[in-house]
Amino acid sequence: MLRNRTMLAGLTITLVVLFGVTAGAALMPYSAETMDFIDVLEPPSLAHPLGTDSFGRDVLTRVLVGGRISLVISLCGVALAAVLGTLTGMAAAWRGGATETALMGLVDLLFAFPSFVLALFLMVVLGYGVQDVALAIALVYFPIFARLARNLTRVLRDEPYVQAARLIGQPAPMILAREILPNILSALMVQASIAIAFGVVIEAGLSFLGLGVQPPTPSLGVIMADGREYFQKAPWVLTLTGLAVSVALLGLNLLGDGLRDLADPKLRQALRA
Amino acid sequence: MDVRALTQGGVRRALVLAATLIAGALAVFFAMKAAPGDPALTALGENARPDLVAAFRHAHHLDLPVSAQFALWIGGAARGDFGQSLTLAGGVPVASLIATRLPVTAFIGAYALVLAVALSLVIGTVSALQRGRLADTIGTSFAVLGVSMPDFWLGYVLIFFLALNFPVFPSYGFVSPTASLRGALLSGFLPALAIAAPMAAVFARTLRAALLEVLHREYVTVARSLGFGPRFVFFHYVMRNALIPYVTVLGLQVRYLLGGVVVIERIFGIPGMGSLMVDGAFGRDYPVVQACALTFLAIVLLTNLLVDALCARLDPRRAA
Amino acid sequence: MDTQQGQRGPTRREVFRAGTAIAASSLLPPPALAAADATIRAGITGYDVVNTLDPAYAALIPEYYLIWAVYNALLKFNADMQPVPDLAESFKVAENGGLEFKLRQGVKFHDGSTMTSDDVKFSFERLLDDKAPSPNKSKVSAISAIDTPDPLTVRLQTKEPFAPLLTFLANARTGTQVVPRKVVQADPTGFGRKPCGTGAYMLKTWNPNQALRFAAHTEYFVPGLPTIGTVDVPLIAEETSGVTALLGHQVDLTSTAPFADVPELAKRQDIKVLRQAGLNTRFISLNNRKPPFDDVHFRRAVSLAFDRNVLIRVVLFGEGVATSGLIPPSLKASYDPTPKPLTIYNAQRAKEELAKSKYQAGTAATMLTWGAGWWKRIAEVIAAQVNQTLGTQFTVEVNEANTVFSRLKSGDYQCSVWGWLGMIDPDEYSYDILHSQGWRNFAYYSNPKLDELLVAARRELDAAKRGQMYRESEALWIQDMPILPCFCSNVHNLLARNVSGFTQLPYSNFGDQFATLTLSG
Repeated sequence: MLRNRTMLAGLTITLVVLFGVTAGAALMPYSAETMDFIDVLEPPSLAHPLGTDSFGRDVLTRVLVGGRISLVISLCGVALAAVLGTLTGMAAAWRGGATETALMGLVDLLFAFPSFVLALFLMVVLGYGVQDVALAIALVYFPIFARLARNLTRVLRDEPYVQAARLIGQPAPMILAREILPNILSALMVQASIAIAFGVVIEAGLSFLGLGVQPPTPSLGVIMADGREYFQKAPWVLTLTGLAVSVALLGLNLLGDGLRDLADPKLRQALRA
Repeated sequence: MDVRALTQGGVRRALVLAATLIAGALAVFFAMKAAPGDPALTALGENARPDLVAAFRHAHHLDLPVSAQFALWIGGAARGDFGQSLTLAGGVPVASLIATRLPVTAFIGAYALVLAVALSLVIGTVSALQRGRLADTIGTSFAVLGVSMPDFWLGYVLIFFLALNFPVFPSYGFVSPTASLRGALLSGFLPALAIAAPMAAVFARTLRAALLEVLHREYVTVARSLGFGPRFVFFHYVMRNALIPYVTVLGLQVRYLLGGVVVIERIFGIPGMGSLMVDGAFGRDYPVVQACALTFLAIVLLTNLLVDALCARLDPRRAA
Repeated sequence: MDTQQGQRGPTRREVFRAGTAIAASSLLPPPALAAADATIRAGITGYDVVNTLDPAYAALIPEYYLIWAVYNALLKFNADMQPVPDLAESFKVAENGGLEFKLRQGVKFHDGSTMTSDDVKFSFERLLDDKAPSPNKSKVSAISAIDTPDPLTVRLQTKEPFAPLLTFLANARTGTQVVPRKVVQADPTGFGRKPCGTGAYMLKTWNPNQALRFAAHTEYFVPGLPTIGTVDVPLIAEETSGVTALLGHQVDLTSTAPFADVPELAKRQDIKVLRQAGLNTRFISLNNRKPPFDDVHFRRAVSLAFDRNVLIRVVLFGEGVATSGLIPPSLKASYDPTPKPLTIYNAQRAKEELAKSKYQAGTAATMLTWGAGWWKRIAEVIAAQVNQTLGTQFTVEVNEANTVFSRLKSGDYQCSVWGWLGMIDPDEYSYDILHSQGWRNFAYYSNPKLDELLVAARRELDAAKRGQMYRESEALWIQDMPILPCFCSNVHNLLARNVSGFTQLPYSNFGDQFATLTLSG
């Protein structure tokens, strides 16, 4: 019951956030990029609920537009990681033997690097930009999805219906796509929903260090990095943006939690490993 | 269990560990070399005239082919010589840099881990036992909130609203535990808290879920019906079994912990491995980055081994 | 014409003698010991790298911050940025540009040995030695002969007059600080980590990237100084962390302050903020060889298309002045205060220049910058304003400082935010940056007339005439707009309320003031 209640809360917050970053951003009377050097660093007011930044831009508009960009980056990164990771994990589990050892060796190597360090490295090597941040997030999550997919596939490989499909001579890709994928999908989705929330944090952290999204595109990290620079003068930019991010991620996490609890108990166990 | 199998397993593990370290070293080395930029420019700054840059590159073998540079590095590393810092602390052996930085990070990391474990044990247990009641709602909400706050933001908020208003916690700097344990605990508290908050959240959720699952297992019901006291049942049957996933997650989180350290150390001005590595990457201090990455890698790998061993202790069936 | 500039020398020596006499006769501890137990924490902010404290091989600003405390040079700057004697007691400039220095008597190095003209000679010869190239060689490369007729006299000869030489012999970012021959020769490579100078402070401990500790040099040649027994120097990577450290009483003094915080900090009663126009120049470097900046009209159009005062307001929060050239206002003799129309925002003129150029509205260009702070914001504001005025499509590319620097040096860029700071002679702000042979000429600008003028200015020993030549040079190149001058920012130091005795100089001095610091209450 409690689960349902919190999940409902998560769903509500997530829907509000989604509405905000899409329709809300479009409805805002200000531009997220156009500078106005008259109204700089205005404290929060009715006209500007989160105040303005040092270039006179409405912070709420920037948070909404930036939130969308951060979410899309995270979504793309996680999606890429999920697809590549799942393919790798399933292939490793299905083939077994040397293929599995080699593939999982690579995965384990990636997995052994601290997540943020991995992302940071990639930025230094690749340079900055929206795609690069997404790639960095993908690199962080790739080993997680690969491990999950491999563990789940291993369990299902020996299930009678999979063995049956094998005996009638179905080709491996077909079995993986038709018999195994649908059964592990829900676990993968749950993992993805949690990953998206953390992906936003990675994006914010990278942009905060000056390694992220290119201007004038706003992203949550960029807005917070700006706010840090003039914190003494205008504390609201950093504080309120961070608060907004926390609430949005709270929604996503609650939703992810609820989804995880709904998932099949067997998969729940696999998720944790 | 025969001894031969055990040693074989040990040898195998050591080999895998060594192979992973070498592969990691190779990956980091070539990735750094592929990045644009030049350590000579960092070291020489505004005096980076072409002739001086060339001299710097020659002196540090940066004018050799990358494969030759790697050969030089790995040859040195095999003898325990990880080279000298290029741009962060010119001429200082990397090993000595790591030796001064690692204990700091280890202290902050352990501090954060202790805070996270303490918080999560309380929240997780209370939430599970009070399932569906107010305490659960509060505990669960706190846990989810903890994982939702960006750690660097939390760090800044802690500095600006706590440290500057309550002088108990220094706003900057770190006192080494060897100099003053009290100073270290105070100066390390806010950064450790910033790192611990998201971890505590993850741990608490894991523990709650694990406890709930175990509470309904057959053997627990059996133990109860055999007339063991609730306390005994909880600690001997429930907690012990719930700790297995908890410890596993704990081990996995070390990866995030080390990542979080990178940003938090910078914000709080803590001279640890994280800030060393970030500075090294920005300053193109190849030997330092290389050594830091390997140290991180080794810590994670060793943690994995430790977690495996711990789980085996907790669950006798797995030990076989 | 010989200019005698050392009138203050004898007076000083008298004071010095008087000081020692009083100390000796009264048998009281010298004043230097009065606060001998006191420790001051002087944080270097914005940097955490100090690779060497050997002046011959130092390159980074934080290295010099500390070198200034450990060593002295023949000269130092007074509050008006005029070179005055320091280790020298007096000096003469000959008509042919040769210099003669009379040294102070009885100056001790940290190891107790006495400084002589031979150490001075050795210090300069080291900079000139090609076997171990020094980053500071160019400062003294004009010297053709060094004579030491007696232990207290040094004569420097130059092939031709080289006006900046005198300035370069001051205790600044020049590497001309005096080192002891014996100590260096005993361990040439280790000297950078075990420095030994004549300065007010000696290095005690060094924790790489974290902190350095200095102890008072009790035989310092200025009587009564230094006043504080110990100076701790934490290296604080983030400037904002420096502010929180000061506000949280973790440090007593900082080497810099973030522009954004200064206006608020200046209002506070519990700290002191020192600020003045700094010796620095910030500009947009244009690659004159690459489209679209290979067209003078386009370059002028861009310069006219943005308002430098907006930069001052929203990027520096008022902490700086807009500039029309490269030479900063603090170099009073060479600075030209008349604003140049080509550097003043004028949308109408900007469009006229664009019409004359071979590029039109819609032209794209990428402006390089780095980090997450004000360097990035300069590019953001300029790109937005230029696009608005001209209808161009300038984009900003944020990268790392190291990558940007290497791209500038290799010419792999269109335009980039750039700047230099802490340089002390107009020659460094013009010859190096815009002479066709200047090594900082990343604009790839070449103008024979300007080259000629800048070479002539190097040879002119008369300060007033030389200053006039630099003013002319700035008026000359600004017509071609090879770079876009933007502004000169203020330099700052933050002090705890109870700290005094810090005289701020525009080149962002630091360690040279440790000797006179005092703590009250």
